[in-house]
Amino acid sequence: MRNLKKLVLGELHRLINYKILPISLVTAIIWIIIFLFLSEEEARNIAPLLIFVDVSMMSIILIGASHHFEKQEGTIKSMMMMPVSMGDILLAKVLSSMVLGLESAIVTSAALYFIHGVTFNYMVLLIFIIIAGVAHAAIAFILALNSKDFTSSLGLLMAYILPFQLPSMLFTFGIIEKEYEWLLMFSPSHAASSLITFAVSSDYDALKVLIGCLYLVFLSIVLFRYFVYSKFKSNAVRG
Amino acid sequence: MSNAFQVKDLRFKYKSSKEDTIKGVSFDVMEGEIFGLLGPSGAGKSTTQKILIKLLEDYSGEISYFGKDLKSIGKSFYEEVGVGFEMPVHFSKMTAMENMKFFSGFYKQTANVQELMEQVGLWEHRNVKVGDYSKGMKVRLNFVRAMLNNPKVLFLDEVTNGLDPKNARILKDIISDYRNRGGTVFLTTHLMNDVEQLCDRIAFCVNGKLYEISTPRDLKLKYGKREVKIEYKEEGATLDRIFPLEGIGLNEEFQNILRTKEIETIHSGETSMEDIFIKVTGGVL
Ligand SMILES: Nc1ncnc2c1ncn2[C@@H]1O[C@H](COP(=O)(O)OP(=O)(O)O)[C@@H](O)[C@H]1O
Ligand SMILES: [Mg+2]
Repeated sequence: MRNLKKLVLGELHRLINYKILPISLVTAIIWIIIFLFLSEEEARNIAPLLIFVDVSMMSIILIGASHHFEKQEGTIKSMMMMPVSMGDILLAKVLSSMVLGLESAIVTSAALYFIHGVTFNYMVLLIFIIIAGVAHAAIAFILALNSKDFTSSLGLLMAYILPFQLPSMLFTFGIIEKEYEWLLMFSPSHAASSLITFAVSSDYDALKVLIGCLYLVFLSIVLFRYFVYSKFKSNAVRG
Repeated sequence: MSNAFQVKDLRFKYKSSKEDTIKGVSFDVMEGEIFGLLGPSGAGKSTTQKILIKLLEDYSGEISYFGKDLKSIGKSFYEEVGVGFEMPVHFSKMTAMENMKFFSGFYKQTANVQELMEQVGLWEHRNVKVGDYSKGMKVRLNFVRAMLNNPKVLFLDEVTNGLDPKNARILKDIISDYRNRGGTVFLTTHLMNDVEQLCDRIAFCVNGKLYEISTPRDLKLKYGKREVKIEYKEEGATLDRIFPLEGIGLNEEFQNILRTKEIETIHSGETSMEDIFIKVTGGVL
């Protein structure tokens, strides 16, 4: 536990050091400014999308970039020479990757409240962000571990976005009919985005929430257990 | 003395390669010695080191670490061993000191970082980002990283590679001191100098196999040319003669030169480690 805390602090320190956290904070603040010009209804509709993008896409890019960067630097190897379990090393990376999602959730929630007086259950949003964040971290690691450098991992990301995130966006804009939504739930990104939408709109569909949560948790366990954990070490050793 | 490592019939194959990279090697690393693997690039030295430090796991054969099966030892292993990698292993956007602070924070026992950094001449550059370090500075920082936890066993992969002679000398002196204080060292190198100046015992490594595990001195006795070369002055010119070391005390011709000529140099015919390596393994360094 002590080690995990130190590992997470190390990861956060690097996020600041590499200017990733400051830059994402600036982007979040730009969104607040945009909120000033939106109606309450528009703001409520767009807020989940902002949070979702940071929880999913941004954390995939963050994990991919830092994985390839650290592999090239050889620091993963060096970390494996510490009396720390690999589970802790991975967990620290997952936890710190969620900072972006949390940060944009906090900024967005604050903007909704201070500009439009909108409140909702923040605890529920936090839980959904964690569930969605872990699942997307798993996906991020799979993309990173199966690509030889950051550029090729971006290619894989595009290949992931087309079938898994694009339909979800089309659905959000009403281009895909409501009756096909159950199909979309197979996409972890859609499951994540609908959970976040539920939380922000305070408008729950209990069955969908349940299925979405269970699906994402199940997916996270399977992906980490069978696809990430085993490959992480051999991947770091190379070079 | 007990064995730090005992390796029996070690074999290893990378998933992506067709044949075994390590083809059945056996050796012991004794506590308190500097054991060196000498061989050309691609021989399998780094692979062997990565197996011993538990980075590569799917090996066959037996490896014991102080009598215990290496596979059964958990994370506590890394409290005891220090590993110096061939390539840089630091966060390049952070300073050397930030790096050392981060890594040393995870060990129960830590060395005096300032002392180590001073010894290798990096203390005044401690607040420089590692990305701005020269290659040689990164190599020295790798060494400090390996020593961070006051290890009982030290692994060094091509530790002097990329260092100027002065800094190579400094590292070698620190390594010898470490051994003299009871430390055990496993090192790999393709440099003859390292072997001759540092190692208590060496193994020649070529193409995944080991040849001749011995001390540098015994190798020289066994494979060195046993002869004496003498250079002397005669009528203004320098001449040389070579005599067999065998029965040199009774060799009339040799004695005669000693008695009557002005001697310039006498050398016993040292065969270089390089020649011995080629003779034993048939390979080139
Ligand atoms: N991760 C890897 N995957 C496949 N082959 C590898 C890998 N690492 C090294 N090799 C191969 O194994 C052989 C031995 O490499 P290595 O142990 O690094 O040699 P050395 O350290 O003696 O130069 C080389 O042929 C090298 O190409
Ligand atoms: Mg090597």
